[in-house]
Amino acid sequence: MSLESSFESSLAAFKALHLPRAGRPAPPPEAVAAPGLSRGALAGVLRFAGLLALLAVVAFFAVRVPSFVTTGNIGLILSQSAVLGILGLGLTLVLITGGSDVIRGGIDLSLAGTLGLAAAVFATLNQAGYGDTACVAATLATGLAVGALNALSVTWLRILPLLATLAVMNICGGLELVLTENTTVPAGLPLIDALNLVGPFDLPVIGLVLVAAWLILAVTVRFTAVGLRAYAVGGHPEAARAAGIDLTRYLASSYLVAGLLGGVAGILSVAFLNAATSGSAEMLLPVIATAFLGRMFSRRLVPTVTGTLLAAVFLGALANGFQLLHVSSYWVNGIEGALILAVVGATSGLAGRGARP
Amino acid sequence: MSLETLDSPRAAAPDLLRFGVPLALALVLVAFSLMAPGFLTLSNIVGVLVNNVALAAIVSIAMTLTVASGGTDLSVGTAVDLGSLAFVSAIIAGQPVWIAAVLGVLAGIGTGLFNALLIAGLSITPFLATLGTLFIGHSLQQLTTDGGNPVYVPTGSIPPALAFIGHGAVFGVPLALWLVAILAAAAWLLLARSRFGREVLAVGTEPQVALYSGLPVRSVLAFIYIASAAIASIAGILISANVNAYVPYSGNAYLLNSIGAAFIGTSLSRTRRANIPGTLLGVLLLGFVSNGLLLIGWNFYWQQVGSGLLIFLALLLAFTGRRDAA
Amino acid sequence: MTILAPTLAMRGLVKTFGPTRALDGASLTVAPGTVHGLVGQNGAGKSTLIKILAGLVTPDAGDIEVGGTPLGPLSPRGAEELGIAFIHQDRLLVPTATVGEALFLGQERSGSRHGLWRGRLERRAAGLLERFFGIALPKGALIQDLTTAQQQIVQITRALLADPKIIVFDEPTASLSRREVDHLFEVIGQLKAHGLTSIYISHYLAEIERICDAVTVMRNGRDVAHVDPRTTGTAEITRLMVDRDVKDLFPRHNATAGAPVLSVSGLAAPPAFRDVSFTLHRGEVLGLTGLLGSGAKDLVRSLFGLSPARTGRIEVDGRPVRLGSPGAAVRRGIAMVPEDRRAQGVALALAVDENTTLASLPAFSRFGFIDRARERLRVSRLIDELKIKTSGPEAAVRTLSGGNQQKVVIAKWLARQSRIYVLDEPTVGVDVAAKAEIYRLIARLAEQGAAILLLSADLDELLGVSDRILVMYRGEIVSEHIPSETTGARLLAASVSGARAEGIAHVA
Repeated sequence: MSLESSFESSLAAFKALHLPRAGRPAPPPEAVAAPGLSRGALAGVLRFAGLLALLAVVAFFAVRVPSFVTTGNIGLILSQSAVLGILGLGLTLVLITGGSDVIRGGIDLSLAGTLGLAAAVFATLNQAGYGDTACVAATLATGLAVGALNALSVTWLRILPLLATLAVMNICGGLELVLTENTTVPAGLPLIDALNLVGPFDLPVIGLVLVAAWLILAVTVRFTAVGLRAYAVGGHPEAARAAGIDLTRYLASSYLVAGLLGGVAGILSVAFLNAATSGSAEMLLPVIATAFLGRMFSRRLVPTVTGTLLAAVFLGALANGFQLLHVSSYWVNGIEGALILAVVGATSGLAGRGARP
Repeated sequence: MSLETLDSPRAAAPDLLRFGVPLALALVLVAFSLMAPGFLTLSNIVGVLVNNVALAAIVSIAMTLTVASGGTDLSVGTAVDLGSLAFVSAIIAGQPVWIAAVLGVLAGIGTGLFNALLIAGLSITPFLATLGTLFIGHSLQQLTTDGGNPVYVPTGSIPPALAFIGHGAVFGVPLALWLVAILAAAAWLLLARSRFGREVLAVGTEPQVALYSGLPVRSVLAFIYIASAAIASIAGILISANVNAYVPYSGNAYLLNSIGAAFIGTSLSRTRRANIPGTLLGVLLLGFVSNGLLLIGWNFYWQQVGSGLLIFLALLLAFTGRRDAA
Repeated sequence: MTILAPTLAMRGLVKTFGPTRALDGASLTVAPGTVHGLVGQNGAGKSTLIKILAGLVTPDAGDIEVGGTPLGPLSPRGAEELGIAFIHQDRLLVPTATVGEALFLGQERSGSRHGLWRGRLERRAAGLLERFFGIALPKGALIQDLTTAQQQIVQITRALLADPKIIVFDEPTASLSRREVDHLFEVIGQLKAHGLTSIYISHYLAEIERICDAVTVMRNGRDVAHVDPRTTGTAEITRLMVDRDVKDLFPRHNATAGAPVLSVSGLAAPPAFRDVSFTLHRGEVLGLTGLLGSGAKDLVRSLFGLSPARTGRIEVDGRPVRLGSPGAAVRRGIAMVPEDRRAQGVALALAVDENTTLASLPAFSRFGFIDRARERLRVSRLIDELKIKTSGPEAAVRTLSGGNQQKVVIAKWLARQSRIYVLDEPTVGVDVAAKAEIYRLIARLAEQGAAILLLSADLDELLGVSDRILVMYRGEIVSEHIPSETTGARLLAASVSGARAEGIAHVA
């Protein structure tokens, strides 16, 4: 009898104890039955896979080519990675804030175009007789303007980022051609000479610019609320909105900063090559690869500023090491591609689990 | 942003917007025929269709298949190039043209198989999987051409069949346009009318539901990426036949416009699905704009700016009133 | 210390959306320092009422008073300033954030003036969770690594950070374990002791009975009754909600179990379940239940080829089959109505007709092409038969209510002429009226000769609908029950302790 009367209240407890309910992802069955030790260990290894691969490559080259780990060569790797790295950082910010769903999330295909246009603006103004300040100001303003156009299209006009930035890329490419008429525009300014110098720590100034950009962004993302909120905007927009965060402002800012970094990359590229050259569009896919590869350096498998820097340097070291080993540079792209696939293939199972709200 | 947007059942985008792209195309045609006297002549239009539209259309049809399945194929250009490489190599090796063409398509299918393995087999996101394929394909072309040197069919030994593929016509219509028509019709039937197309639609919009309905999700994806690459390799064969050569990386030029065309085309559908007629309109729009700009005296460089702006405007038309999509 | 929360009074609220009148003169008065229950079917107006309180919806007419002061329409900020906090059904937490990051998002700097130190964030978070809930989460854990219950607790703690006076709980226990529910109720009790007011919305009337001081029952946009849950039973509250007797809810089917259709013997997928044997007959509704981790869910998944069993024998119509994929299961005539309807059951972006024929496309194709005429005819018939409320076969399923979406899932399998139905929590998240319709549908399926395996946590449902009930405990079937000869308490005892007492009549 007492069993019967307690039924109503125990019913509630029973329901609550029972299976998870609709709309909520059920925990993976393995995790329920066994605490998933082996899976956890595997995840742990994979999370360090990026770093291990980087170290393995460095160790391999260091053993085979002693000159690989000299300060001079490290400086060279850094400056060779600078343009790619800076653009990668820009794309990383867009991925963080927009979310890493390729179609619906954040993406900026116009970064390579921005680089080309910015370099063209810089070199053309230089040829027209303007000095350091004017050239730099105009180049950065160009980058910002491109970023503003992207921001406007994505936030206000609500065009899919993939498509909006694709159109903007075409516009940038066209304007670059208009400025350079598809020729190489040489440049020579005190600033360019200064960028090509070797600075503190025996590292070239171009490489140091990359390091400085990384430092500024890493500190901002890590030690201010801005970074945390940007991840929230990208990771779960509804949660960010509910926390009182202005999504539009964050999204727009990410494209603006990316554009600005595109401008910086333009200046570095002119300095590195002593000219504005065509062919910047070829940077687009390496930039995307860098930002996505960078995820393997993150415990949470999300895009991170530091991960992107490491990825850029990793790719730079790879190309440099092959050069030293006299391996044909023709292999580089293929190895990069295989790397992307290996990393993504290894992590897709992990990233896919619970990545979506 | 108050109640109505928050609580009312999701309002369908006004049907008027579906006519955005056709309207833009009509405007472009009218404007250029007024500004450039030579624009609306038969020879110019055929020229645009053959030179600007046909190849882009074939690649875009391939892209539309992958977009419909919920992905993208960044390696369409790779399939174009590898198809072209295999085709030209076989001809230089003295094979008959039809065998060379089969080998070209097989090279495309090989590229597609690789993508299929990554996407359907290893569950890698299509965007990243095909990005990897693109890089590897680039390397492969560098290695086989010593860093990107074009491979020419010796001028003396160009088989007549090759010239026919490149420049021939059937019933007065260039062969390339026949191919576009056939491929477009086939792809349209496949996507819009066939049972397989319905499965692609389900896999593309809700893969989980497709799985829980017993559909063979992986096979569907595998087929789509193989078909996409095979179609793209046909464009590669056409390019080589046109210039009697294999030019490394030339397929990549079509990548971004094909993505653009496929997505612009989705605005034609009430439910915003990738569709072949929409894609073809997108390709036509892009092709006629660059031609029209040329005819009114813009140089090549400004044409690029102009067509960029135009894609932008077309997107604006396609996305206006699509506030709920974000 | 007692903070006296103000009295909240909402009176004569009216709100129309286009042709539908969501609220039609509804009132809600909540005394300070009480736990006030709000119940009603989906569509009764609860959520509109709560959205008005949150400032998300402006009413067409009606007054809101807080502490006797009349207020104009509220804005989200205004609601926040009045100290009204909301704990939503959906967990609004960033999956890749740590507990600290998710907890303090938007107010990261409260309490620290300089930069953001992640370690400090985690320590503060740990302190708060300990204080409010007495629990410690794994150090450095990401939200996506937590159980749904732990995530829910982070969400509630987040709301408590704002130091609210009135807290609205919207179905907070849907994914909590019993211990966590107890803990939550303790917390609500403490909040009450401090003079805070809680508004508690739940479909679980037993919970309402357990913690609420007063209950407002809503129906058709009005408050139809104000009752004291300690004197009014849940049966009476249900009657007020649906305005009809609960007995009608469970129609008995008249089918008698026929030939065996699906027999399973020695099925095992360690460590989820082992040695599972049972037989499902034509025209039979076989209930299945078990706690989280009992293996019941895994069993159901393996029968649909989602995570195939390792060993054992499955026979369909006496012939041994391998169910290695959902496709293989579907070909054997097995149908699945998954629990997560919106993610796995229906394709929201596709139309009703496209959803309905998704599992039976070959039947609607000729030479590989879809026969639209045949498809349309069959789908319109199914829409009529199942009374699916839709503007037409081409309407997107997204525009349908939860109950009607569920009917589309069933229609999908009817179109396939499936004979074995695996129903995984088919009535979760649908309101009482839609539930009744789904039960009628199950009864009709059985009468037409289908064999039905019903996995459910709702014991009333199992007792009302099934012919036999299997209970699983720690990966094994521990007992079999006949509804007329058992009680909910016995089922509960079997699933909590694995008690085999109530004769395993014959598991064959």
